[in-house]
Amino acid sequence: MEANQETSHEHHHSKSDWYDKWYKPLLVIPVIIMIISLAYIGFFYYQNHTIMLRDSSLTGGTTVTITGGDIDTVALGSQLKSQFPDIVIRKLTDIRTGKPVSVMVESSASPDQLKPALEKALGYSLTGQNSSIEFTGSSLSQSFYSQLMIALVISFILMSFVVFISFRTFVPSMAIIFAAFGDIVIPLAIIDYFGIRISAAGIAAFLMLIGYSVDTDVLLTTRALKRKGGTLNSRIYGAFKTGTLMTITALVAVLPSFFIVTALPDSFRQIFFILALGLFADIFNTWLTNASIIKWYCTRRRIE
Amino acid sequence: MKISWKIWMLIVFLVLSIILIAPSFQKGVVIKSVEKDSTAYNQGLRTGMFVTAINGVTVNNFQDFTKEMNLIFPNATTDTTSAVTSNPTKNITQQNLSKSNSSALQNKTSSASSANNIKLIITTTDSEFVLFDNLPPAITVSDIPSSRIKTGLDLSGGARALVKAENKSLSANEVSDLVAITSNRLNEFGIADVTVKPVSDLSGNNFMQIEVAGATPSDLNDLISQQGKFEAKIGNDTVFVGGKQDITYVARTGDQSGIYSCSAYQGGEVCNFRFAISLSSEAAQRHSVITNKLGINATNPQYLDKQLDLYLDDKLVESLYIGKDLKGSTTTQIEISGSGTGKDQQEAYNDATTNMKKLQTVLITGSLPYKLEIVKIDSISPVLGKEFTTNILYLAIIVFIGVSLVIFIRYRKIKITLGVILTMLSEAIITLAVASLIHWNLDAPSIAGIIAGIGTGVDDQIVIIDEALSKGSDTRSLKEKIKSAFFIIFTAFFLTVAAMIPLFWAGAGLLKGFALTTIIGVSIGVLVTRPAFSDLVKLIVKD
Repeated sequence: MEANQETSHEHHHSKSDWYDKWYKPLLVIPVIIMIISLAYIGFFYYQNHTIMLRDSSLTGGTTVTITGGDIDTVALGSQLKSQFPDIVIRKLTDIRTGKPVSVMVESSASPDQLKPALEKALGYSLTGQNSSIEFTGSSLSQSFYSQLMIALVISFILMSFVVFISFRTFVPSMAIIFAAFGDIVIPLAIIDYFGIRISAAGIAAFLMLIGYSVDTDVLLTTRALKRKGGTLNSRIYGAFKTGTLMTITALVAVLPSFFIVTALPDSFRQIFFILALGLFADIFNTWLTNASIIKWYCTRRRIE
Repeated sequence: MKISWKIWMLIVFLVLSIILIAPSFQKGVVIKSVEKDSTAYNQGLRTGMFVTAINGVTVNNFQDFTKEMNLIFPNATTDTTSAVTSNPTKNITQQNLSKSNSSALQNKTSSASSANNIKLIITTTDSEFVLFDNLPPAITVSDIPSSRIKTGLDLSGGARALVKAENKSLSANEVSDLVAITSNRLNEFGIADVTVKPVSDLSGNNFMQIEVAGATPSDLNDLISQQGKFEAKIGNDTVFVGGKQDITYVARTGDQSGIYSCSAYQGGEVCNFRFAISLSSEAAQRHSVITNKLGINATNPQYLDKQLDLYLDDKLVESLYIGKDLKGSTTTQIEISGSGTGKDQQEAYNDATTNMKKLQTVLITGSLPYKLEIVKIDSISPVLGKEFTTNILYLAIIVFIGVSLVIFIRYRKIKITLGVILTMLSEAIITLAVASLIHWNLDAPSIAGIIAGIGTGVDDQIVIIDEALSKGSDTRSLKEKIKSAFFIIFTAFFLTVAAMIPLFWAGAGLLKGFALTTIIGVSIGVLVTRPAFSDLVKLIVKD
């Protein structure tokens, strides 16, 4: 790889010129994506009076997971719709075998109401062996949700502190914080678009995202500002090579959970789904937004 | 090749971790509990022993154990040998019921030999126990865990409840009192593997959290949410209430306790139970004063004109006639009775047994000081949990292979790839060891945290490799390069910790596991595995 870089020096130069010319216009792309995302979240809030749809662990209600057995979810839904208008039924299928793994039934009703109705519709009783029941009271779930939101804000503030203490310069630190903000906003907009119902574990994943996704930004900023030798462009390019490999391995770690096996706990899949979205968003936010800001900053400060 | 102290440190940590996790290949079943004063107890069987054979037949797992017990005691209910890993089939048949009528009332501890006593030889890893009894041993067993790693509720199956007092916010002290009474109650009821602990959340609310591992007992809900206020009244006068103050003894085994009759009733079946209790002298005195005021029943002259009404949580459960001889007597011995119903005799028998146990439990433990409300209850089927665990293991293997492949494709160096794989593996093992050291139950979010932690670990290793391998115009020494890599690594570490810390308190700590394992993982990373890896890379680069 290294030898490769030496021989293609000419090629590298033309790339370098290209970047010098275009880095400012490139900044427009992520800013547009960010504005669209924020606008969509705003629109979503206007329509649904919440910034994200939440599952029963955060709105209050019951989730019954029925294992095994081929259940006609459509028939089940139409049977229960009149009694529980807000019922949501999902089917989990194992992608490898195509066999149904489990059926999840969610409603704001209490287990005392939902379970007997389900048993009647299914024609057999639900035991601790063939089903799982999760119930959260509505006042508790409200307080869980607001607490997790507070935790998210605290987490973001703490992250910002660490960034400022580490770099002690305003613009580069703000660039990292801005990228981290984008890493949360873009996945949230995508989740809203698909109407995914977020669980408590899902919000925890957003917190993790704050810590996880800024690694590449830290790498970029350190290489650009602190490393000596080489041109600024070559340092940014080196950071880009390292950073994309980091993101690729991270994606390899989180993606199999929804492509290969589907019979995983819902909390588990949701954590990984949100991390994956955040890592994708981070590719833009680091290598377009943050890189352009850093390049701009260094050029003005005459850091070569 | 000289191995530096940092690499030695990693090796030492790794060995210690494997010892801590203590993978076990012991075959058999482990005894989870032994009923006090039962034959099994008196013969020396104790909790924690490994049963390897019964009557010379090797027992490898829980299935073997139940199969063997059912063969030896075909007529007995397997109630006493239930286990946490799976539900034993309860087989009460017609003839068995008539047998239970006599045997349940018979004192298990009495050595009064019965003709149909069965010889049972239980072999454990250390010795052999010989039991003569007509009932299965009063022990509960489960599969021997294959390591000291404990999985959480969503992976092993079980139930978890968050409880608070109705219309009242509890102080930390009140919650700890509640925890004490509840643990006592669950223990008396005989639910194994239960943890009750106080938890609080960001807004200062206190809850009681109850976790029951393994198969979920269906009556958990009742046991928690019932205040268990027991009152025995004659008219409007309270004679005695549940708890040690008034009740000094509750018979639970022997001929003073059991189900004594079953009969057809309104298209179903009803079974009746009874058990004896002893009253304290104050309660007996009260009984005397109150009964003294009563007259003789006009229609049933052998009884007094008022009945003894038993209330559980303000609901009348039973009314007992009082014999006329008891008028004004300071009796301390009272027989409590009740019933259970069901579609058939088996159901009625089970219902009566449960009702009896519940009543005995509240009589012993007394009522809870508050009316409780379950604000969150999750019960996870062990079948689903098992499937989850298997799939997570597959997933972990796929992630390992995938990450290793990406690293190999990028660097095309076997030594570096192996270094990354070994570091990933040791990080996972040490994290698991720390989790088992602090007795942390690994639930699904915790495992997600471990995988994410390993993900950041690999990121850091890539930073180290790329810094160390950087050439061209980079004139820094290898040591300086590694130092600069560690600046990035430490900043990333503090960022992850800062981002996860708030989860320790938010939402009553239900997502603490996720934060905890991630923080453990990255901490082990920066303290142990990363320094060792950087030395490893130095060695490889110098070669």
